[in-house]
Amino acid sequence: MEFVFETNGLTKRFDGVTALDKIDLKVRRPSIVGLLGKNGSGKTTLIQHLIGLKLPDEGSVSTLGRPGAELGHDELKRIGYVPQDIRLLDWMTVEQHLRYVSCFYPEWDREREQRLLEELELEADKAVGALSTGNLQKLAVILAVCHHPRLLILDEPVSDLDPIVRGKLLEFLLELLREDEATILVSSHVLRDVEKIVDWVICLDSGKVVTDAALDELKELYAQWRVVSNNGDLPERFSEPFVLAQEVSGREACLLVKQGTAEMTVFRTTHGVEVSGRPLNLEEMFPILIGDESP
Amino acid sequence: MILIVDPHSGIPVYRQLVEQIRFSVASGLLEPGEEIPSTRALSAKLGVNPMTVSKAFGLLEEDGVLERRPGRPHVVRERRSGTVRATRLEQLEQALRPVATKTRQLDLEPETAVQIFRRLLEDEER
Repeated sequence: MEFVFETNGLTKRFDGVTALDKIDLKVRRPSIVGLLGKNGSGKTTLIQHLIGLKLPDEGSVSTLGRPGAELGHDELKRIGYVPQDIRLLDWMTVEQHLRYVSCFYPEWDREREQRLLEELELEADKAVGALSTGNLQKLAVILAVCHHPRLLILDEPVSDLDPIVRGKLLEFLLELLREDEATILVSSHVLRDVEKIVDWVICLDSGKVVTDAALDELKELYAQWRVVSNNGDLPERFSEPFVLAQEVSGREACLLVKQGTAEMTVFRTTHGVEVSGRPLNLEEMFPILIGDESP
Repeated sequence: MILIVDPHSGIPVYRQLVEQIRFSVASGLLEPGEEIPSTRALSAKLGVNPMTVSKAFGLLEEDGVLERRPGRPHVVRERRSGTVRATRLEQLEQALRPVATKTRQLDLEPETAVQIFRRLLEDEER
């Protein structure tokens, strides 16, 4: 089984600071993977290793079946990359830039390019240097997808886009998954957006992988419980190991739990309480995943 | 008092607050005379705009659920037992309305639905 990318004990240090700490990841295609983490958690450094811009100090990384240090023409032409810090040629127009980049890719899809210009509302005759941050992001995305990449990496791609264009871009990413069977790695802080499209979540904290799981699985695991006692006050604290955080106030409580539904029935009878549960969304789950939620 | 707001649920936050406080009062979780946190305190705790909180409080005052006391936090208003019962029934009816819709959509006889509801209530009793 070929992995789209795979890392084994990948470690990177900058001036004694460990930016990536023994990262073990395996991603198969096709899938949309959300790469999450606070600022400085190592997301961008990991991405740079996946495309050969940085090489590991220890451990290994391989992308589309080839080690990071040996990535060549055959692999690079199947990768699309939108960096966080977009640097394009300011003196060209959008159209000229598209023509310039397209000549490196024999399989450039002109139709897709035209359609995206229209859908994302980007004018081809504008000078690149005069584009707003949002429009620059649009151009960078178009430049990264018209060669039908097998692996598309987007580092904070949607932060400056308006909600309508963002919606269109997300729809397009789903199309890439369906039609090109591409694997898409999205790093973003806009968790509500990511949540709509990702099926897998990788979470980094201080250079370590703290979560590597299917989104559905996470949603079934974490929940918020609203607890109301049937008679008298609740205990001051619940000591069940699956209770991650709690707020108890007299006869009611709000708990963050990591559990299956079986625990709820037991909990109900042991404490003589009514419980109503609701799954957490990614935004609410995020602090727990990176261990910022104190119990 | 524990309030949970979801700013992305599509239901206006003030509505969520009104519904939850109204339910807490109807179910007896909040007792007459009990103090409600101040607009300021609640806004800070829930991370919502103070205007939203005072809008909710304003509506609850109009409904006779809360009582305003100049310069001090709101309290839960004393109510006649008849009114309490009526609010409880109103809350239940509101919660059951979607169940009734679903029962019709599933083309099930009302008797069966009532039987299931009764069984669920008895299960919880145990």
